[in-house]
Amino acid sequence: MIIKRHIHRLIFLSCIVTILILAACKDSFEPNVTSFNSNLLVVEGLINAGSDSTKFKLSRTVVVAEKNVGNPETGATVAIESESNELLPLVELSSQKGTYASPGLNLNATKKYRLNIKTLNGSIYVSDYVEVKISPEIEQVGWDVKTDELQLFANTKDASNNTRYYRWEYEETWIFYSKFYSVLFWNGTALQSRTPDNYVYQCWGNEKSNKIILGSSAKLSADVIFKQPITNIPSNSEKLGERYSILVKQYALSKEAYEFWQNLKKNTESLGSIFDVQPSQLTGNIRNLNNANEPVIGYVSAGSVSTKRVYVNKADVPNFRVEPDRVCIEPLLVVEVSGSDYRTTFSGGFNVPIEEFGAGVYASSRACVDCTLRGTNKKPTFWQ
Amino acid sequence: MRSLFLAFIFFCVSIAYVSAQETKIDVNFTRTSATEVAKSLSIKTQLKFYYKTEVLDTIYITKKIDDQPFNLALKNIFEGTNIKYTIYKNAVYLTLGEPLGTAIAEEFYEDNKTVEDVASFITIVDDRKNLNATTPNKLYEIGIKSGRARDKITVDGYVREATTGNVIAGAKILSSNGNVSANSNQLGYYSIVLPAGKTNIIITAPGKDLTTRTLLVHSSGRLNFEVKERILTLKEINILANKASVVKSTEMGTNKIDLKALKKIPALFGEPDVLRAVLTLPGVQSVGEASTGFNVRGGSTDQNLILLNDATIYNPSHFFGFFSAFNPDLVKDVQLYKSTIPEKFGGRLSSVLEVNNREGNKDKLSGSAGIGIITSRVSLEGPIVKDKTSFIVGARGTYADWLLKLLPEEYENSAASFYDFNLGISHQFNKNNQLIINGYYSKDEFKLNSDTSYSYSNKNASIKWKHNFSEKLNMDVTLGTDLYNYDISSDVNPVNAYKLKFDIKQKNFKTDFVYGLNNTHTLKFGLSAINYNLSPGEFKPFGSESLVISDVVPDEQALESAIYLGDEIAINDKFSVNMGVRYSVYNYLGPQTVREYAPNLPINDDNVIGEKSFGKNKVVNTYHAPEFRLAARYLLANDFSIKASFNTLRQYIHLLSNTTAIAPTDIYKLSDPTIKPQQGNQLSLGLYKNLASQSVELSVEGYYKQLKDYLDYKSGASLVMNQHIETDVLGTRGKAYGIEFFVKKNAGKLTGWMSYAFSRTMLKMDDPLNDSPINDGEYYPANHDKPHSFNFTGNYAFKRRYSLSLNVTYSTGRPITLPIAKYVYGGSERVYYSDRNAYRIPDYFRTDIAFNIEGNHKINQTFHNSFTFGLYNITGRKNAYSTYFSNDNGVINGFKLSIFASIMPFVSYNIKF
Repeated sequence: MIIKRHIHRLIFLSCIVTILILAACKDSFEPNVTSFNSNLLVVEGLINAGSDSTKFKLSRTVVVAEKNVGNPETGATVAIESESNELLPLVELSSQKGTYASPGLNLNATKKYRLNIKTLNGSIYVSDYVEVKISPEIEQVGWDVKTDELQLFANTKDASNNTRYYRWEYEETWIFYSKFYSVLFWNGTALQSRTPDNYVYQCWGNEKSNKIILGSSAKLSADVIFKQPITNIPSNSEKLGERYSILVKQYALSKEAYEFWQNLKKNTESLGSIFDVQPSQLTGNIRNLNNANEPVIGYVSAGSVSTKRVYVNKADVPNFRVEPDRVCIEPLLVVEVSGSDYRTTFSGGFNVPIEEFGAGVYASSRACVDCTLRGTNKKPTFWQ
Repeated sequence: MRSLFLAFIFFCVSIAYVSAQETKIDVNFTRTSATEVAKSLSIKTQLKFYYKTEVLDTIYITKKIDDQPFNLALKNIFEGTNIKYTIYKNAVYLTLGEPLGTAIAEEFYEDNKTVEDVASFITIVDDRKNLNATTPNKLYEIGIKSGRARDKITVDGYVREATTGNVIAGAKILSSNGNVSANSNQLGYYSIVLPAGKTNIIITAPGKDLTTRTLLVHSSGRLNFEVKERILTLKEINILANKASVVKSTEMGTNKIDLKALKKIPALFGEPDVLRAVLTLPGVQSVGEASTGFNVRGGSTDQNLILLNDATIYNPSHFFGFFSAFNPDLVKDVQLYKSTIPEKFGGRLSSVLEVNNREGNKDKLSGSAGIGIITSRVSLEGPIVKDKTSFIVGARGTYADWLLKLLPEEYENSAASFYDFNLGISHQFNKNNQLIINGYYSKDEFKLNSDTSYSYSNKNASIKWKHNFSEKLNMDVTLGTDLYNYDISSDVNPVNAYKLKFDIKQKNFKTDFVYGLNNTHTLKFGLSAINYNLSPGEFKPFGSESLVISDVVPDEQALESAIYLGDEIAINDKFSVNMGVRYSVYNYLGPQTVREYAPNLPINDDNVIGEKSFGKNKVVNTYHAPEFRLAARYLLANDFSIKASFNTLRQYIHLLSNTTAIAPTDIYKLSDPTIKPQQGNQLSLGLYKNLASQSVELSVEGYYKQLKDYLDYKSGASLVMNQHIETDVLGTRGKAYGIEFFVKKNAGKLTGWMSYAFSRTMLKMDDPLNDSPINDGEYYPANHDKPHSFNFTGNYAFKRRYSLSLNVTYSTGRPITLPIAKYVYGGSERVYYSDRNAYRIPDYFRTDIAFNIEGNHKINQTFHNSFTFGLYNITGRKNAYSTYFSNDNGVINGFKLSIFASIMPFVSYNIKF
C-alpha cells in the first residue's frame, strides 16, 4: 500500500520533470578588448613548384571591432629565393592590391625555397627554407547521400608513403534560378526585350571553402586517406536544385606546416566546446630579420596542387527538396496610365520588369528577378 | 532504608539507567583529554554531559569509533580508563572510578566503599571551578565529644535557601556512603540518624545546587543547611559542531562537512554532491560549472589528493563534472585539508580531500533510495553477523540523455551515462581488532556530437586492519589497489577507426601509528609505499578494415615511498605545536628506455645525445627529499586562538592538460630524469574565534604559497600518444596568496556558512631554455585565478520537518585569452590572441534555493521518505561558462556559452527503510 502511494508520487514527479525547461545557450559576446592595433604582417600563399602561377597575399591585422578586415600590404618587394641564391621576383597585381604573383615557376623539386619580403617601410621578412612537397593525385571525390545532407569526401593515396600530411580547399559552383523569368529590362527610357546574354533567370553560384580541412595518414600503415570529409550540403540547399560541381584542391604539407594549420584551426574554428582547448600561440615560419620577436602570421609552403572536379545532379539526390522561397510571392502588375508609371517604377533599379501582361507588365523586386545579385549568368568555362 | 536511598537517588540526582540511545557515533580521538571527548560527544549526540573538569582533564583518550550505537561507542571510548558513565534522559554523567546510579548503590552495599571515595564522585556533578569554599570544606562538629561513641545519633535542623533564607521542602539529605538519608518536610525541617564520627553529607534539592558538608558527630545536635539556587552550576555543553576543536587544534585550513550539512545544500538536479559542497568552502575554486575537479588555494586540479576510504580517485567526476564520484547516501563525512596537511599524507601539492563512507549498520538491515531528475541511487546496509560484521552497498545510475537534448544544438547527437558502485564490509574481531574492506567502481561513457566515444572508469579496492596494541598505541594498516583508465574509440570511418587506451594502476601499502607518549607528546608515525604502473597510451586499429598502425607509448613504473614522524606537543595549556617530517623517496623504474639530452640546451629532438635502457625494476633515477609539516597554535582565550603553519610538499605524478577543465583525455605523467617532481610550500597564518557558546565560529586565514616545476605545455603541443612528452612540456613556477574569511553557524534554526576569499594565482614560465615562453616569461594569471569569491550556504529549519536552503555564489570571472586582432587566412576571418589569460569572462553569480520536506517521523513505519525541490540559478543569470571566437561562414563572431542559462527546477525523492 505504501509502495503504491510512492509510485503515484513518482508519476507525479515525472510530470514535473517533463515540463522542465533547461536552456544552455550561446549568446553573442563582444568583449571590451584593446583598441591598440598590433598591425601584424600576415602572409598567405604557396610557392607553386609546378606550372601554375605562384601567388602570395600580404596584409596587416586589424582590431577585432573593425568592420573591414581587408588591409592589404601594398608596395612590398617580394621574391622567391632558392638555397642556391636564385631570386624569382613576384609582382604586385594591379587588380588585387597586396597580392604578389608570378607565372609558373617550374621549380626544381629537390631544392629548398623561401619567401623574401621587403615592405615599404624597409622591414625585411624571410620565411624558413621549405622543401617542395608534391601532392599526389586525388584518387576520388565522392559523396554519401544522407537523409538530411550530402556528405562530400575525398580519397587519396601516396604509393610511396611519402606525403602523410594533407590539406584541402574547394570551390563550389552550382546552377540556380531566380523566382521569376524576366524577358524585359528597363534601358533607362523604355522597356526592352532581353537578349540571351543578359537573361538573369539562370545563374551559377560560387563559393570557396572557408574552413581549414586537414588530414593525415601519419598513424596509418599506408599513406591512405579514406573518405576525408570535405563539406556537407544540407538537403534543402539551393546548391542541389539542379546541378552542382565541386573542385577539390589538394596540398601536400610538411609535418611543421600541418602543425601550423592544425594550430590555426584549433585556435579559430574549434573553440568553445565543453572541453575548451586553450588558445595557444601561433608560430609560423616567417620572421622579421631585424626583430625576431615580432610575430608574423603565416606559413610558407612549397609544392604543387592537385585538383579534381565532380558534378552532382538533382537526380543523384532524388529525395532532397530545395527550401521554397518565402519572399518572392506574387509579381506586381504595373500599368502605364500617366505615362511616367514605368519610369517611376523601374528607374530606381529596385523593381525589375518580368513580362508583358495585358495592358501592363509584371514586375518584382530585383532580388526575385535578377540572379546575378547572387551569382553570375555567364556559364563558367569549365562547366559541362 | 535501601529502598529509601534508591528513591532518593532517583528523585534528587535524577539519575537512572535508560535504554540505548539511537544515535550512531563516529569519532577519532588522538590523545584527546576526556573533557574534550565529552564536549565532542555532546556535540555529536546533542546530549548534555556532566562532569568535573579537573578530574577529566588529566585523562587522555585515543580511540577511533566508527558508526557505533551511542551506548556501545561510550563503552568503547571509556574502556580502559577509570571513567564511568551514566546516561539518564538527555544527559550523560561522567564519573571517575564508579558510575552513578542504582548500580552504585548496590556496589556500596557490597563493597562498602569508603566515605572519601563516594564523596569524590558525588561532587563530580558540581562543575564549578570554585567549589563553595567555606561550607563544604569546613568540618562541623555536632554535639559534645564524649568518651563513648554511640551508634546512632540524631541530627536535625532546617534546610534553607542561601540568599533568601526561605525554607526548602523536599530537600534530600544523604550520608555520602549512602547508608542513611532523610527528606525535609513542608517547613524545611529534617531529621537524620547518623553514625558517630566523621560523615559526609550531601544535600540536594530540586533546582538547587548540590551541596556537601562534612560533619563530625559526637552527640545529638542541630545543624541548618543552606543551599544555593542552581545557576550556571552544571556545565552545559551545547556546541553543535565540531568546532570547539577548530579553535583548539593545531591544524589550519581544515574544513569538515558532515552528511547532514551536505544534504541541506541546494543541489543541482536534486542530488547532494560532495564536490559542490567543497566548492562552497573558502579557498576552493573551479574553472566553471561543467568542470571536473577543483582548485585549492591556487593549485591545479591534479594537485589534490582525493581519497575515498583511503583509495586514490583520479577522476572524481561524472558526467562532465555535473556530479561527483561519491554516492551521497554512503558518505559519512568529507574533510578537506588545505593548509596544514598532516604528515601522513603526501604526493600532492595543494590539498587532501578525504571522503569517508559509513560502515554498514551492524544491528539491522536498512536501506535508502533516491530518485532525481537524471540520476537514481540506492543503498543497502545491514549485519552479516550481528554486532560483528556488516556490509554496505550503494549504486547509482543515470538516464540523462534528455538533458543533453536541451544543450545547444551542436550537442544534439550527444549521449552520456554513468554508474557507480560502492561496497564496504566491516568486521569487528574484538575490541582491539577490526577489518574493513572497501571497493569502488565507476564508469562513464559519453559521446559529444561526434563519431568519437569516450569512456573512463575508476576501480578501487582496499583492505584495512585497525589494531590497538594498547590504550596508548594503535595502528592502521591499509593495502589497496587503485585503477583509472579511459578509452576513446572511433569507428565511423573504417580506414581510420581506432581505439585509444590509457590507464594508471597503483598499488598502495601504508601503515599509520599513533602513540600517546604522555600528556605532552603524541607521536604519529608510519610508512607508505605506492607502486605506479602507468600505460600512457595504446593506439590500436579498430575493426578489420582499419589501416591504423598500432602505437604504444611504453609503460612507466615508479615506486614512491615515504616514512614520516610527527609529534604533537602540548607545551602548555595555551601553546601547542605539531612538528612533522615526511621523507619521500621516488624511484623511476625500468623497464624503460630514456633519452639523454645535452645539458643546458632546450629539451628537444635535436639535442638528444643518447639513449639508455634499463631492465625490469632497475632504478632509472631517484628523487628524494624531506617534507616539513609544522603547525603551532596559541590560545589567546578559551575560545580564541592564533595559528601558524608551514608545509612543504612534493608531487611525483603530473597531469598534462591543454584544456581549461580536466578532460577525460588528459594524460598523467610520472616524473622521470627530465621531468622533475613538482614542489610546493605554503605559509599560513590564521585567527579562530568561537562565539555564542561555541555555536558560531569565525576564522580568518591568510596564506602565501609557492609552486615549482609545475608542468605546462608548449603551444601547439600534442599530448596524446606523445613518445617524448618531455620535449613538449615546460616547467612553470607559480605563486598564490590570499586571505579567507569564514563564518559558520552550527546551531539554532539557521545553520550554514559564509565565506569570502581574496586570492590570486599567478604562473610564470621562467625556464631559461624555453625560447618562446608564454607571456614573455612574465607572470600571468592561472585559469582558476578568481580574485574575489563569496559563498553563502544556509539552511533555515522553520519546523522540524520543513526547511529552506539557500546558496549564493559570486566570483570574479575566470581569466581568458581574447583575440586582439583579426585577419583573413584560409578563406576566412581569423583572430590573433593576446597574452595568455589577459582578460576575464563576466563575473559569476548564482543563487539556488531548495525546500526540504521530511516525511513524518513515526518510528514504526516501514518507509521514511523525504522530498527536496528547488530552483537552481533562481535569478536566471546567464553565467558564462566560456567565451570563444569562431568563424561562421568566413566571419568572426564572439560567443558566450552558458551552461545553465535559465532557472533550473529540480526535485528529488528519497526513501529510507
